[in-house]
Amino acid sequence: MRTVNLESQKNGTMSKAKEKSAKKRVVEEDDDQIFQLPIFGKDEKKAGEEDDADLSDSEESVFSGLEDSGSDSHDEEEDAEEGDDEEDDDAVILDEILTKSRGVETATEPPATDKNTPTPDVKTAPKQKRKMKKGEGVAMDDGGEKGLSTTRLGDEYEHDTSDEEDIRNTVGNIPMEWYQDYPHIGYNLDGKKIFKPIRNKDELDEFLDKMENPDYWRTVHDKTTASDIRLSDEQVDLVHRLQKGQFGDVNFNEYEPSVDFFTNEVMIHPVTNRPQDKRSFIPSLIEKEKVSKLVHAIKMGWIKPRKPKETTPQYYDLWAKEDPNAILGRHKMHVPAPKMRLPGHEESYNPPPEYLLTEEERMAWEQQDAEDRKLPFLPQKHSCLRAVPAFSRFIHERFERCLDLYLCPRQRKMRVNVNPEDLIPKLPKPKDLQPFPTTMSLVYIGHSSLVRSISASPTGQWLVSGSDDCTVRLWEVNTGRCMKTLEVGGAVKSVVWNPNPAVCLVAVCFESTVLLLNPGLGDRLVVSSTDQLITSYEPPEEDKEQAVTWALSEGPEHDNGHRLTLTHPKAVKQVVWHGKGDYLASVMPDNSSNLQVLIHQVSKRRTQNPFRKNKGLVQCVSFHPLRPYFFVATQRYVRVYNLIKQELTKKLMTNCKWISSMAIHPGGDNLICGSYDCRLAWFDLDLSTKPYKMLRHHKKALRGVAYHKHYPLFASGADDGSVIICHGMVYNDLLQNPLIVPVKVLKGHQITHDLGVLDVTFHPTQPWVFSSGADATIRLFT
Amino acid sequence: MSQLQTRFFTDNKKYSVDDVPFSIPAASEVQELSNVINKLLEAKNGSHSQIEFDFLVRGQFLRTSLSNHMEAEGISTEDVVEIEYVERFTAPQPEECMMHDDWISSVEADSEWILTGSYDKTARIWSLEGKAVMTVAGHTDVVKDVAWVRRDGLTSLLLTASLDQTILLWEWNSERNKLKARHCCRGHAGSVDTIATDPTLATEEEEEVEEPPSRPRKKQKTEQLGLTRTPLMTLSGHNEAVSSVLWLDSEEICSASWDHTIRLWDAETGSVKTTLTGSKVFNHISYSPLCRRLASGSTDRHVRLWDPRSKDGSLVLLSLTSHSGWVTAVKWAPSHEHQLVSGSLDNLVKLWDTRSCKTPLYDVSAHEDKVLCVDWTDSRVRHHLYSPGETTHI
Repeated sequence: MRTVNLESQKNGTMSKAKEKSAKKRVVEEDDDQIFQLPIFGKDEKKAGEEDDADLSDSEESVFSGLEDSGSDSHDEEEDAEEGDDEEDDDAVILDEILTKSRGVETATEPPATDKNTPTPDVKTAPKQKRKMKKGEGVAMDDGGEKGLSTTRLGDEYEHDTSDEEDIRNTVGNIPMEWYQDYPHIGYNLDGKKIFKPIRNKDELDEFLDKMENPDYWRTVHDKTTASDIRLSDEQVDLVHRLQKGQFGDVNFNEYEPSVDFFTNEVMIHPVTNRPQDKRSFIPSLIEKEKVSKLVHAIKMGWIKPRKPKETTPQYYDLWAKEDPNAILGRHKMHVPAPKMRLPGHEESYNPPPEYLLTEEERMAWEQQDAEDRKLPFLPQKHSCLRAVPAFSRFIHERFERCLDLYLCPRQRKMRVNVNPEDLIPKLPKPKDLQPFPTTMSLVYIGHSSLVRSISASPTGQWLVSGSDDCTVRLWEVNTGRCMKTLEVGGAVKSVVWNPNPAVCLVAVCFESTVLLLNPGLGDRLVVSSTDQLITSYEPPEEDKEQAVTWALSEGPEHDNGHRLTLTHPKAVKQVVWHGKGDYLASVMPDNSSNLQVLIHQVSKRRTQNPFRKNKGLVQCVSFHPLRPYFFVATQRYVRVYNLIKQELTKKLMTNCKWISSMAIHPGGDNLICGSYDCRLAWFDLDLSTKPYKMLRHHKKALRGVAYHKHYPLFASGADDGSVIICHGMVYNDLLQNPLIVPVKVLKGHQITHDLGVLDVTFHPTQPWVFSSGADATIRLFT
Repeated sequence: MSQLQTRFFTDNKKYSVDDVPFSIPAASEVQELSNVINKLLEAKNGSHSQIEFDFLVRGQFLRTSLSNHMEAEGISTEDVVEIEYVERFTAPQPEECMMHDDWISSVEADSEWILTGSYDKTARIWSLEGKAVMTVAGHTDVVKDVAWVRRDGLTSLLLTASLDQTILLWEWNSERNKLKARHCCRGHAGSVDTIATDPTLATEEEEEVEEPPSRPRKKQKTEQLGLTRTPLMTLSGHNEAVSSVLWLDSEEICSASWDHTIRLWDAETGSVKTTLTGSKVFNHISYSPLCRRLASGSTDRHVRLWDPRSKDGSLVLLSLTSHSGWVTAVKWAPSHEHQLVSGSLDNLVKLWDTRSCKTPLYDVSAHEDKVLCVDWTDSRVRHHLYSPGETTHI
């Protein structure tokens, strides 16, 4: 018990209140205990002084600080110089005891410590403190001795040694040097003076004592009484035990079996026999109130019942947002190298006979190129594995394998998957674009050679056709009856019906002649007025030199319908009427002169050559249906001239090699060009000089193109014997481009001498198309 | 083999059988049914000779097996099926061929004589036996249409219309075989393609004249005495060539045109009463007073039936589809409610029964070239005219 107290005192945390109560008790102590009391009293005083800030206290605790005793000792020697030798002795003795007990010879140490330099006087206060501690250590020893001596187990609370004061000397915890000058050192309990020893031991005595006294190591100097105390064996033992950190009491068993009062095991009998409280049987009103509050809150929806926890674990995609271009992404695109083919029967050293090449096969194999060979080696038969020679192609094969591995680009092609149907522009269905011609209805048979040109009368009742059999035929449209056949002097290149319904005239060109015919069909009044118009011509007074000669037909030719003959200097290829029906243009293709296009005025029988320069071989010409424009198509370009200003307005690039035909939209802003390189170009004159659309539907050269006057239709005939009808809607809105939809391929003409359809023209009022072909027929599609 | 409960009936008293239900195999066709009727008639009347019958189930001719037909028409097979049977209309046979030198543009027949117009600028009168009786020559251009006006005993009045923009009225005495041109009607500005006479008027002159594909006008003429007559009334309104005219009755005129319309005119005022709008050019129309329907032939190969009385105009009652070329001529049978003939540019003449609209009754394929005109006579005589100039007479 006492040792425990000692330890608590070592910590120096005793409160002053406790000290006082202890002091009161001290008075009542026995004599046995008086011996100890001053030591403890001194200790407590020291604790009271230091109270807050004795940091060295813990450092210099008796047992842990023993090794620093050197420094302690020289401090004490300073004290000794001041005259207090006893204390020095104390420290040294204790040191020696300890070191000897450890079996370490430290006898030489004290002199070494003596040599230490003295510290300045300022340090006296800390030194004092340390002295106190020495005293404490000694006192403790004493206490230990006491404890050991008093082993009785009586009433342990009878004297509380925790705050016992040193009762051997009653002066209290004062600096002992105060008694330096006195013969006594204090007073005992009886008030009698405690006298100092008569003679102080000096150094020599000390030394001698050390050398001679066998009990010197166990002798301790008591400062308060200034006497030497010889420690008994038990006390030395106690010191040793404490130094080892053991309990001071030998008999104390620190490992007594513990009694587990409350155990984890369920026991049969209750720990306490106390009956249960009544309240444990009665429902709690407070709880009821709380529960009802909660129930109300749940009912009102203020509290949501707890959601059941989802038992399924939640996963997330670690690679969801991974960049495919990152390295890991590229790893996905990795294409492993192809594996080598495994050896088959051919490679066997003893292949089955069907794998062995026969003699002819061997010859064939040898003659083949190395790349064409099915097998890169000749299968060979050996009687045993031992007879197989070294594989001669080994290095070669390895080398090729390496080439395969590093030269072959193994990466996945980034191919864009586009549905081909998405690339097709959205066009309306042909059946929504009716009416347009769909079937062949009538065949006009009568010509004996290919029909170059056809033209329908403005009323749509009659059709005129010109053929290579040197005839012009007039047909009734709705029955297919040939009403008239007119012989002309050459293969007819072009026939055109005058677009003016008030005039009944057909322009026919053959060889170098343009003939104006009056077919005599239709309204008699119109026919006669046309004749009158031609005969009413009065020649001008001064005769101008003209490029062509105008001649009025007479006699039997007149009865045949011939009215005017225009003899050109060169072969005429095409004639075309102006929309009003008075002007007529004729084309004489000639690469070397400027006399290629002539414009005639029928009423005045005048002819003029509008162009001074030769811009290329003229293919066809056309008048603008509404405005005074004139279109001239050469082999590759279409030039638009303003006839009033006499200047070039536009030059259209057709991107074709050779234009064959041309047609102007009745609105006048669009134009189609057929060419011998199977293309049809649609120009929007407002848009560009380049084609708005190029249609390549025909397999062979286009020969004729035509627009319908009223319906949004255009047709093209080609040498492949087909006529293709397209829906070509032109909008008044300038922002909307024309809508072009191919709607029908009309077949019927037979291909004769590699020529199919030569000309197409539309019925003026109905959605019908006429086509003339090299098979000498004209066909009507409705 | 399932059986059907059927009951046969007929309008013809000569062939009537007992009104009791018979159980007939469902798969039986016309031939088997015909045999059944013949057996029944033989049992009733020993002297009965075999006759071919045609059968109508709910107004539709039976053309396939009975079960298929009823399935197609949605007739319940649970009830007793009422089947009407009629004597089969025998296939027309070409009897006579009348040769013209040129294309025949029109034909009109009455009970004794046949009048034809030709592209050789003449019209001819033929006897029913196919003998050319008279040639009417006077036009300076192609004769496009001909019409009988009236016959009083031996004297007949006839009309010819020509491309030379005139219509000539002729008086022909069949006994003396003398022809006299009585009037010339002028007024058209184009060729006259079609004419029609009012059949109800007994007075002498009442003809109308139709105008050709040249002017958006149509003219009607009523002739007065004198050599040259001018139109009494001009009906104008069509945008394009008028292809066919006819009288519905004495007050109404009907005309078909290339402008996709059929118009009904009031003969008194000359105003349009109704317009029937189609989608294609009309080549010819015909009216049957028996069933009060208009039949039209158009360039899209269909024969269409119209009700001219309907106010909402363009309602097609029935489409007869079998031709493969333009339908150039249609004509109702004068004595049969359901039958009509159509001629087409595909060289075929088809005989239709409106009760069997899917297929025609008969195809007459004796022609070698385009059919331009057809006509019936009361005595079940039919004439066709074709372009090469053959007339077939049945």
